[in-house]
Amino acid sequence: MSMHQEGSKPPREAAPGKRWIEVPKIVNGIDSTEWVEVDMESDAPTWGDRASLRVLNRDLRRVDGPEKVTGQARYPHDVRLPGMVWTRILCAPFPVCKAVVDLDAARKVPGVVDARELREGGQVTFLGQAVAAVSAETPEAAEDGLRALKPRYEQQGFAVTREQALADDAPKVNKDGNVGRERKNGNLDEVEAALAQCRWVAKGTYSVPVQHHASLETHGVVVDFRGGKEATIHASTQGTFTIADEAARELGLSAGSVKVEVPYMGGGFGAKFGLDVPGTIACRIAKDLSRPVHLFLTRKDEFLLAGNRSGAVQDLQLGADESGQLQALSAKVDRLGGRGDGSFAQQPYVYHVPKRFFHARSVFTHTDASRAFRAPGHPQASFGIESILDELAYQMGKDPLELRLANLPEKGRADWARQLERCAREIGWYQHPHRTAPGKPTEPVMTGIGFAVSVWGGGGGKECVVEVRISRDASLAVLCGTQDLGTGTRTYMAGIVAEVFDRPLRSVSTQIGSSTLGRANASGGSTTTASLAPAVKVAAENAKRALLETLAQADGTAARDWALAGGRVIAPEKGQGGPNSMSFEEACLKLPAAGISASGEWAASLAGNGVHGAQAAKVEVDLRTGGVRVVKMVGVQDCGLPLNRKALASQLQGGMIQALSYALFEERVIEPDLGVMLNANFEDYKIAGSREMPEFVALIDDDDTRQQVIGMAEPAIIPGHSAIANAVHNACGVRVRELPLTPDKILNGLALARGLAANKEAGK
Amino acid sequence: MKSFEYLQPTTLEEALAALPTSRDPKERERVRLIAGGQDLLTEMKEHLAEPDLVVDLKRIEGLDKIRVQSDGSLVIGATCTLAALEEHAHVREHFAVLSRAAGSVGSTQIRSVASVGGNLCQRPRCWYYRSEQIPCIKKGGAECFAYSGLNKYNAILGGGPSYIVHPSDLAPALVALGAEITLRSATQQRILPLERFFTLPSEGRVQQENDLGPGEMVVELKVPSLPAGAGTWRSDYFKVRERGSYDFALAALALALLVDDGTIRGARLCLGAVAPIPWRADKAEALLVGRKVDDEACRLAGEAALAGARPLEHNGYKLDLTRGLISKALRQLASS
Ligand SMILES: Cc1cc2nc3c(=O)[nH]c(=O)nc-3n(C[C@H](O)[C@H](O)[C@H](O)COP(=O)(O)OP(=O)(O)OC[C@H]3O[C@@H](n4cnc5c(N)ncnc54)[C@H](O)[C@@H]3O)c2cc1C
Ligand code: SF4
Repeated sequence: MSMHQEGSKPPREAAPGKRWIEVPKIVNGIDSTEWVEVDMESDAPTWGDRASLRVLNRDLRRVDGPEKVTGQARYPHDVRLPGMVWTRILCAPFPVCKAVVDLDAARKVPGVVDARELREGGQVTFLGQAVAAVSAETPEAAEDGLRALKPRYEQQGFAVTREQALADDAPKVNKDGNVGRERKNGNLDEVEAALAQCRWVAKGTYSVPVQHHASLETHGVVVDFRGGKEATIHASTQGTFTIADEAARELGLSAGSVKVEVPYMGGGFGAKFGLDVPGTIACRIAKDLSRPVHLFLTRKDEFLLAGNRSGAVQDLQLGADESGQLQALSAKVDRLGGRGDGSFAQQPYVYHVPKRFFHARSVFTHTDASRAFRAPGHPQASFGIESILDELAYQMGKDPLELRLANLPEKGRADWARQLERCAREIGWYQHPHRTAPGKPTEPVMTGIGFAVSVWGGGGGKECVVEVRISRDASLAVLCGTQDLGTGTRTYMAGIVAEVFDRPLRSVSTQIGSSTLGRANASGGSTTTASLAPAVKVAAENAKRALLETLAQADGTAARDWALAGGRVIAPEKGQGGPNSMSFEEACLKLPAAGISASGEWAASLAGNGVHGAQAAKVEVDLRTGGVRVVKMVGVQDCGLPLNRKALASQLQGGMIQALSYALFEERVIEPDLGVMLNANFEDYKIAGSREMPEFVALIDDDDTRQQVIGMAEPAIIPGHSAIANAVHNACGVRVRELPLTPDKILNGLALARGLAANKEAGK
Repeated sequence: MKSFEYLQPTTLEEALAALPTSRDPKERERVRLIAGGQDLLTEMKEHLAEPDLVVDLKRIEGLDKIRVQSDGSLVIGATCTLAALEEHAHVREHFAVLSRAAGSVGSTQIRSVASVGGNLCQRPRCWYYRSEQIPCIKKGGAECFAYSGLNKYNAILGGGPSYIVHPSDLAPALVALGAEITLRSATQQRILPLERFFTLPSEGRVQQENDLGPGEMVVELKVPSLPAGAGTWRSDYFKVRERGSYDFALAALALALLVDDGTIRGARLCLGAVAPIPWRADKAEALLVGRKVDDEACRLAGEAALAGARPLEHNGYKLDLTRGLISKALRQLASS
């Protein structure tokens, strides 16, 4: 979905000297927007000329890299506290059932201190639901206690697949049935009439499976509550400030007395907001026992109840006129978000089609609700449109790249066109032997190339309060409660401060991940950087001003005559002689013992909104074994002003890796008759590993000259799998309309094509 | 996993003495051997195995050795690691298929501890078997859920009443090489062709994949040199898997060819991951002898190897896959 909500308007006239802008607002990782009033642009702060930047827009190594790779970084899972109990939860292995457990037997296990049921009457309403919890002095005792529950499940009817959910006699997932949240726009009759007029029409049903976030650190918390009036929650979360309220409610404390600590966290990808199931259970147990509680999901639990990316089934029809101008699109989409709504951007995704009909609905099943997952709804939509575009192109005998270029929307056309062409050059499209038709299976190993594009918002808002401190020893510190999901927040925070003071990066320390520091938004919608970086910049500028004012005051001169340049402090000239300069270290010695501190908030002029990207993939398909090897991926992404080029390239590459994995391997498998998840582990739920890595070319689009910071981490994942599927089709003519692209599907596709060819031959 | 006692014997006799000799499967299950633990631990974590006693073989002196006999044949101890086997210079040179098969197992970390004996005795990967909740035939239940369920990874040959594929990568290589396995109990020693060690589910004991008797364990493998003849033997292991980084095979082929001036004088083919046992393709072997590797030879070998195949609903692709694999392997090995 594009950031701007259709028809949204500012609430009233802007005050004098102010203007309204629309900024993203993320709730639980789902994006919407709101209007805020900001200063007119004329007096607003700027990042300065790109050419003048010395630290930013360069490759910065992660400031916390060494801690992470040497194991010194302490993640929430690593927290050990005196008197802490270990809690394990029992997740229902069946979708709908009544679970009967033996709590007394669990309590008799040596070391077990608490065993409780979590569902009234043991009624389970979806696969993986938490049924019971056992707490013990050691993790082993907790597991023994869990086994001692000897659960018995009285199974009831369920629906775990789309077909089961849509059957006439399907057990109901929601009171209102198994279909809901319909979104419809356009006129079907008109679109069908337009399709009938089209010279070229492609039709297809495109499916993507449920994908798991699979963060290395599972969901969980350590609740430090030992009775009394205060508590600390060590949480693996994407939002330092999304936890205290709920935790306080559970613990019977006031929100202000609950501290949340997230110095590091092992990945979230959109699934870690709020106290969540483990946090809620842990707080209740901690409250009852007055002891700290460690509760992290096991890997299996994580697959069952920590969310996922919703699957989708899309019925598409796309028509073009003789010249290759798209004319009409009909899209009927089922979102498969378990008992949640699922997400789906929209159709047409990015491309311009004048007449369109779009009807999306959620089909509910008795499985865990989907959650936000890196660019919610976009990869699904991308797969549908990019696949059918290629099918249409080859039907017409046209180059799919040209078809794309001819049908980009007006807004952003130049950006996507430039990016697509750059991808095409880098991937070798113009030298590629078969560009207007898929390869004929002549060689045992065929090579193919495919393309796809992305769109995202990535803007920021007035969310963060940042403090910058200067100490007498000339060290600088930047502080904010925000969390770092692994994207490199600490590094650019330090980088911005180093830039403002013209000091080396290493002289700036960062403190983040604590609710005792300035407030910050949760990391969702790629809004962290565009919200935080401006506040860091303003705080640093304020601290610099305060420094010069303090020096001027002590000197009895005017602050405006003082400056900071080349890492030195320039004082006004005294008597004869030129300007009087001193080292930064000398200047800081003149500060009061407590040093200087200044804070800053967001300035609209420093952040932008709206990014574009394009990716291309080159694959080799082994026609004998159906194996697909991605040999090269190219990603081009704009992002306004790059803060840390290395981190940006790393995000882009990470997005391509995750998309490659989605393209080739990832898929949740639930046995349709038994309702059991068959691959809730890292062996059967396959994720790409080191040997699957192709050559990556991750390019920041420097033709985007906006001097504003914009987030881009999410869109990096949007187009890769679509480009790979298109490359496979281009290689050998097999169009797999259902991810993942596993060898069975390729071989079945090849066999089908051989069969068709043989029939044709026989018919002659 | 359930708590258990742990025994670390230093002699074979001590280890064998700890094994129950009862024929009752329940009794036998009470004690389990552990070498690298790469399979046993996953079974214990999923509560598929809940032994009271775990007997560790790694302290037994000499059991991990690879010995090269004067005739060039090999004797491989049961606790020899896959990494050691893969890297052994003589194995690399004269038994390339074995080194390559060992190198194709799991990941570097797994190979550094996984043992040869454990690899041959590992339990099936069928995801119905691996889910504690599902009481299939393998676990003493009444139904094979894979038969009518999600069976894309299951057997196309030799299946019924269970349709597992044997997961070991070493097994096809060792069978192709004509290896013998030495089994010992406290009271006796047996040596049998490895091919006969593996048993089909239809041969009686569905809950077991091999002929290991009560109180028995694997002590070593004897691998004879390939028979001398005109030309030179070349061998290799070809494994197709969904994910290259670590994965079990969708289909695999252990292949050895004696080629003289373009003509095949001897051939060994054993398929992996298509049947509940390593599937020796002896008809294909016989048919290849005297031919050159061309389209016709590849086609015939594929047909012969797959004779009698009965795919299930979702694994029909394995037919094309296996044919493709055989043809690819023959061409690559003949032209190498
Ligand atoms: C992620 C992952 C990926 C894997 N990928 C592959 C793969 O690609 N190919 C492949 O072949 N395997 C694969 N495996 C399986 C692994 O290679 C084997 O499980 C391993 O070789 C077993 O050896 P081990 O020494 O660890 O056995 P253990 O786990 O110690 O034992 C395995 C079984 O054999 C029994 N056993 C052990 N030694 C003896 C003996 N001397 N006599 C009788 N019984 C014995 C044990 O009781 C147990 O039942 C994989 C495993 C994992 C976890
Ligand atoms: S193939 Fe064997 S292990 Fe798999 S479900 Fe059937 S009986 Fe069980």
